[in-house]
Amino acid sequence: MSTPPIIELDRVSIRHEGAARPTPAGVSFEVAPGEVVLILGPSGCGKSTLALALDGLVPHAVPAELEGTVRVAGLDSREHPVGVLSEHVAMVFQDPDAQIVTGTVLDEVCFAPENQLVEASEVLARAERALKLVGLWDRRAENPDTLSGGGRQRLAIACALAMAAPVLVLDEPTANLDPAGIDEVYAVLRELADDDDHAIVLVEHNLDAAVDLVDRVIVLDAAGRLVIDGPARQTLQARADELAALGVWLPVSTLAAMRLRDAGVPIGPLPLTPADLAAALDALPSLPAPLSASSPVRSTALTPAPSLTPAPSLAPPSAIQERSGTVIVAHGLSVRRGGRRGPVVVHDVDLEVAAGEFLAIVGTNGAGKTSLLQALAGVVQAPRGTVDVLGVDPARADVRERARRIGFVFQNPEHQFIAGSVRDELEQGLRLQGLDDAEVTASADRMLRRFGLDELAEQHPFLLSGGQKRRLSVGTALVAGAPVLALDEPTFGQDRARAAELLDMLRSLNDEGTTVLVVTHDLQLVADYATRLAVMRGGRLLGVGPTAELLAGPLIEQAGLRHPPLARATRGLEHHPEWHTVTRMSQLPVAAGGAR
Amino acid sequence: MSGTAGAHPATGARLTTGTAPATGTNGPRRGPLATLNPLAKLAAPLPAMLVVVFSRDMLLPLAFIVLPLLVLLLGARLPGRVVAALLVGTPLAAAVLGVSFGVWVDPAGLSGPATATVLFSIGGWSFTLAAYLVGFTTGLRILAILMLSLMAGMTSAGPEFVRAMVQNLRVPYRIGYTALAALRFVPRFGHELEIIRAAHRVRGTVRGRGPIAATRRALGTAVPLLASAIRHAERVALAMDARAFGAHATRTERVQSPWRRRDTLFVAGFVSVSAVIAWLTWGR
Repeated sequence: MSTPPIIELDRVSIRHEGAARPTPAGVSFEVAPGEVVLILGPSGCGKSTLALALDGLVPHAVPAELEGTVRVAGLDSREHPVGVLSEHVAMVFQDPDAQIVTGTVLDEVCFAPENQLVEASEVLARAERALKLVGLWDRRAENPDTLSGGGRQRLAIACALAMAAPVLVLDEPTANLDPAGIDEVYAVLRELADDDDHAIVLVEHNLDAAVDLVDRVIVLDAAGRLVIDGPARQTLQARADELAALGVWLPVSTLAAMRLRDAGVPIGPLPLTPADLAAALDALPSLPAPLSASSPVRSTALTPAPSLTPAPSLAPPSAIQERSGTVIVAHGLSVRRGGRRGPVVVHDVDLEVAAGEFLAIVGTNGAGKTSLLQALAGVVQAPRGTVDVLGVDPARADVRERARRIGFVFQNPEHQFIAGSVRDELEQGLRLQGLDDAEVTASADRMLRRFGLDELAEQHPFLLSGGQKRRLSVGTALVAGAPVLALDEPTFGQDRARAAELLDMLRSLNDEGTTVLVVTHDLQLVADYATRLAVMRGGRLLGVGPTAELLAGPLIEQAGLRHPPLARATRGLEHHPEWHTVTRMSQLPVAAGGAR
Repeated sequence: MSGTAGAHPATGARLTTGTAPATGTNGPRRGPLATLNPLAKLAAPLPAMLVVVFSRDMLLPLAFIVLPLLVLLLGARLPGRVVAALLVGTPLAAAVLGVSFGVWVDPAGLSGPATATVLFSIGGWSFTLAAYLVGFTTGLRILAILMLSLMAGMTSAGPEFVRAMVQNLRVPYRIGYTALAALRFVPRFGHELEIIRAAHRVRGTVRGRGPIAATRRALGTAVPLLASAIRHAERVALAMDARAFGAHATRTERVQSPWRRRDTLFVAGFVSVSAVIAWLTWGR
């Protein structure tokens, strides 16, 4: 190559203040102008830290120790401040809200070039170009708060483009977005990748969306060392097993194909997208029959290796336990937000939830899913007589009565913490039930062990890791013996490892008899875990039914959602109509003795 | 922000001329007051505010409520709703403030015929007309200061103030624009606080009444709020650094905030009128 690299990393190790070992560790690579590079790795490998080092935020703004050298357009990042490096590298971060500093869309895009002392007329010209590219020029006079999540993230991209830097670094840009927002952002990124004006460095775990626009992948292992650096397609196809073993999240279509290959289906090169997978399957003269819903084989996109359903263990002791029958009945339920005169966000919903179900409520942003869940759990008040949870109206029941029936887990577990130690968090809910000290201690001990927190009993809840916080919040919701658990967007903004950990925990609770309700927009998650699906749009319930049935039907599209990757691949199969209803990983055939 | 589609051509025109602020989000942006430098609107009423603070009687603060009200009604084309709120709300507020300040007045310090007129009494304590009038005057003084500051407050937006401070008063832009970014935190925290309160209610912490339970509840919500505030602030700071904020001693000002002759005239005029009013009404 004749063009010199725009970014050069030479044996870069970064140790955060207080961390025992550096992640990333000894990483060297170069990025050429116009190249689109995807950085992959299991959680905790230092991908995001590496992204921060590319424009000098590490070491200048983040308390971390940098070893080795990062050169940006030939400049050593250690010797040049972020302001100088920002002329060469523009950043887009994960949280769209934490990047907005001004009051209008136009001011926001102008902010960076103004800081760079670009002449006013040129600032406006750049702003216009950037906003037109992301499709926000017509909304330039609006407050950024009026944009959707996807819109705000497109605005953040426009802000980065207005800096006219040759490199764009994006750190998990879609982790906080719903599927519509993810599509919006990737439509913009695809355009940028095609026109070759920018080198793009992308840190992303959602490979399903990113895979078809990247040229090259760089993979770090759990210790932060660079293990793979190669062309995207070939690397993902040829070294998929290796990547999976490292804990890297592969596209669902690739995982499905790997499962099929293990089951003896002769699939050639591994497919990376649903379209690839559909083509590969249609090219085969015959396919083994998919497994039925009642098969004991379990497998999900988060933990694809097939396993067998564990024998049902004994349900935890609970004050009000109904092993069969309905636990929640909602009839003519409407919810207003913000008081008596606020807008109606849930319209006239009739819903019954049976004991032992795993129900997912899905819909786009603003469809009323969270409001419905909160009304069912008594977090917001529903009209008298419209909701019944195991014999009480949850919004009007005494806290004690409610806590014995249903537990609610908010999106951010920190919001729910009220005590100074993990043990106190659990004991608070038990004391509320009026138990004596011995019972409180015994029950708390049991919960600590159940959720793997016994070593951390005296720790302050805020000092736990993300996954531990999540487990504790589920523990506090269930400690009073509630047989029903409701969770609002439990995997939002989390990486795959944590999402898998949480969902597997929910699944085992469900196996033990707990009824689980989740609100989510991750449809592959829904496909793999939920037994029943409630689809919402515009505050109304479009339909409720068994997951497989609803995913095979037209309701998902009517709700403005997109089918999960596996369903997208199987729906259009021409030669294998019996596969049209395959939407979950556990339906894929398994070789004899393949599941353990 | 629905219905902004029609405003776009106008915004485009403003962009190219660069004379009017591009921030068209909140507040009325029309009328002659809006075209003045925000600092002029801030400086002009300062002497009047000082006089009001040291006044003792009723007529002077009353005059200084009417004057800025007139300036606002004539100089800014306010929406009908706001005009109604000002015209109805001001006397109402004065009347209510009269009671709430009046009850704190020491009856021993009062004299004159109004002390004999008892408005209402609770047990052995009675609320006299004299006490009410003292409270009413205090209320008027506060309202006068509020009205005087509303002249600037209702006709200019936050970004304009910051621009004027940076360009005309040479306040370092790092301070001004950081303050502006921090202002965006307020609604976010309000929303977050609401969620935290709901989350704590679900956990069953809302037990007991009275100030001690309330304080404990407030402390309980402060920890998660603070934790998320710090995290958010750190992220915003990183995003601002990445956009070269603070990299240079100055930054490009796309919109100028000039100090014109009319700004000087407005300040001089308002101060003169204030002086005349103060001279006419002092001690009455």
